[in-house]
Amino acid sequence: MAAIEIENLTKTYRVYRKREGLWESVRGLLHREYRDVHAVNGIDLTVEKGEFVAFLGPNGAGKTTTLKLLSGVLTPTSGKAEVLGFVPWQRKNEYRRRFALVMGQKNQLWWDLPAQESFRLHQQIYHIDPTEYEKTLKELASLLKVQKLLGQPVRELSLGERMKMELMAALLHSPEVLFLDEPTIGLDVVAQHDIQNFLREYQERQETTILLTSHYMKDVAALCKRVVVVSGGNIVYDGSLNGIIDRFSLHKVISLQFAEDQLPGDLSRFGDVLEIQPPKAKICVERAQVPYVLNRVLAEQSVEDVSVEDRPLEEVIAQMFADTTEEHRPNQLTEEPTEF
Amino acid sequence: MHSEQPNYTQVFLTFARNSLIRDMTFRWDFIIQAVSSLCWMLMNLGFYLLIFQYTKEISGWSKYQFFLFMATTMIINSLVQTFFMPNAAEFSELIRTGGLDFALLKPIDTQFLISFRRVEWASMSNFVFGLGLLSFSLWQLEVMPTWWQVLLFPVFVFCGVLIFYSLMITLAATSIWLGRNQSLYNFWFYITNFSRYPLEIYRGPYGSWLQWFFTFLIPVLVVVNVPARLLAQEMDRQKWGLTAFAVFAAVMSLLASRWIFQSALGSYRSASS
Repeated sequence: MAAIEIENLTKTYRVYRKREGLWESVRGLLHREYRDVHAVNGIDLTVEKGEFVAFLGPNGAGKTTTLKLLSGVLTPTSGKAEVLGFVPWQRKNEYRRRFALVMGQKNQLWWDLPAQESFRLHQQIYHIDPTEYEKTLKELASLLKVQKLLGQPVRELSLGERMKMELMAALLHSPEVLFLDEPTIGLDVVAQHDIQNFLREYQERQETTILLTSHYMKDVAALCKRVVVVSGGNIVYDGSLNGIIDRFSLHKVISLQFAEDQLPGDLSRFGDVLEIQPPKAKICVERAQVPYVLNRVLAEQSVEDVSVEDRPLEEVIAQMFADTTEEHRPNQLTEEPTEF
Repeated sequence: MHSEQPNYTQVFLTFARNSLIRDMTFRWDFIIQAVSSLCWMLMNLGFYLLIFQYTKEISGWSKYQFFLFMATTMIINSLVQTFFMPNAAEFSELIRTGGLDFALLKPIDTQFLISFRRVEWASMSNFVFGLGLLSFSLWQLEVMPTWWQVLLFPVFVFCGVLIFYSLMITLAATSIWLGRNQSLYNFWFYITNFSRYPLEIYRGPYGSWLQWFFTFLIPVLVVVNVPARLLAQEMDRQKWGLTAFAVFAAVMSLLASRWIFQSALGSYRSASS
């Protein structure tokens, strides 16, 4: 059964177009120009119960807006969406009790108080049965290894520890659907790894439906079988992570190690030479050409070792984003102004 | 399994408790806040002591009757400051930073959540001071309140708090449309300033226009006047009429502010991540 169903979902913002300079700002008081930003531009998506889906895309692609629409924080301009059979932006309490949203860049815990005080508040707001609450709290704390930090004011925790507390707060009511917006942003490798492990274990145990956005390919590779790539408010890819390489990477990398310092000088006739470190060399070759190139190299030279690899995923995706954002002009929303 | 509504009283008590824990963490801030607002009250009182050197009464209110009026103002204002002021001020910030997102996710009435999140316990010092001034004035007036006065006074103080709350939440809600509303405090001060004086001083062509406006359109004049009159003055038919109107005004303000708040929420557009 589908947990999330989205049909032609669209969110358009009207944004004040600010021109440079003082005079233009004053003029803007009287006469404002607006332009429409299509943050989400007619998305169709179905997510089955218990799936762990990653949302990838450059900044401003519409990932966060989609999560906010599905959480009912925003009302769409047009289109339909149902999560667990509810229309999110009706903000029914029955629905709000069954999902959670975690945003890596914002926190909801009381800053000056120990996290456990905020947790208690959640228990009451979500009306969680006290014994069940204690049990969940214990489980989550031991999975995340933060038992000792529960009594420490949140402002004294490290970023990684704080993120773990945010996750706990979001999971206390055992949501059936979980939206994670860049949960590992700004964290060091160890904390990232901890959170990945936690999410994997938790998801396997609870079979929660999870939608994750992240900039870290490692998060995605570690957790999600299904990847949805969004760019310019549209879905440009929906499938497995490896499928991205099959579809979007037109090249492979051949690494060669030659015998006895015999490095042939004319490798460039096979493809782009990426790196030469005698006796090793790396060439980037069109996928269709790989068998032919291998054949010739092996026939002509004495080669000790050879391997054929896909280009690194990051590179492929960066290339893919670059292509798609050229089609749809950049859509980034204005950032929070810096104040002095 | 989780079909029940949250227990609103319990949630509120936890808010109050958490706020107190926080206040106690920064105890010096707490003490300074309490002392400075007490000083402000004392200066106010001193100012009127000066004025009453030159006059016996202000439009029918003798010195201690007027002090009783001031005490009522303090009690009502301190309640608003304790329970609503910090929340309204924070609301504007929640909108600008997108923090309101979290409030919208919770399975609890959003207006309740943002109205009661924080309690500023330090402002209760004014409440205690107000009660003290009230008792002192009654003693000076040699008035022993009857049982119905003791019963009705808190009821109309409550009505007054409701009217102020409605005004405040309406002002706060406008920041959803404006994106940022830093004039909130100013506006609040301008408007509620009128409530701090007896109704009787608003006379003459300009005064009666003000009286009408601030009784029937923005009913801030009934907030303090109604409970203060109950204790300090002889009640007559006209005064009872205004008292009844205060209940009506409180209910209407609350309904109007609820409606404005809800429609403002519909226009919320969050902030980018």
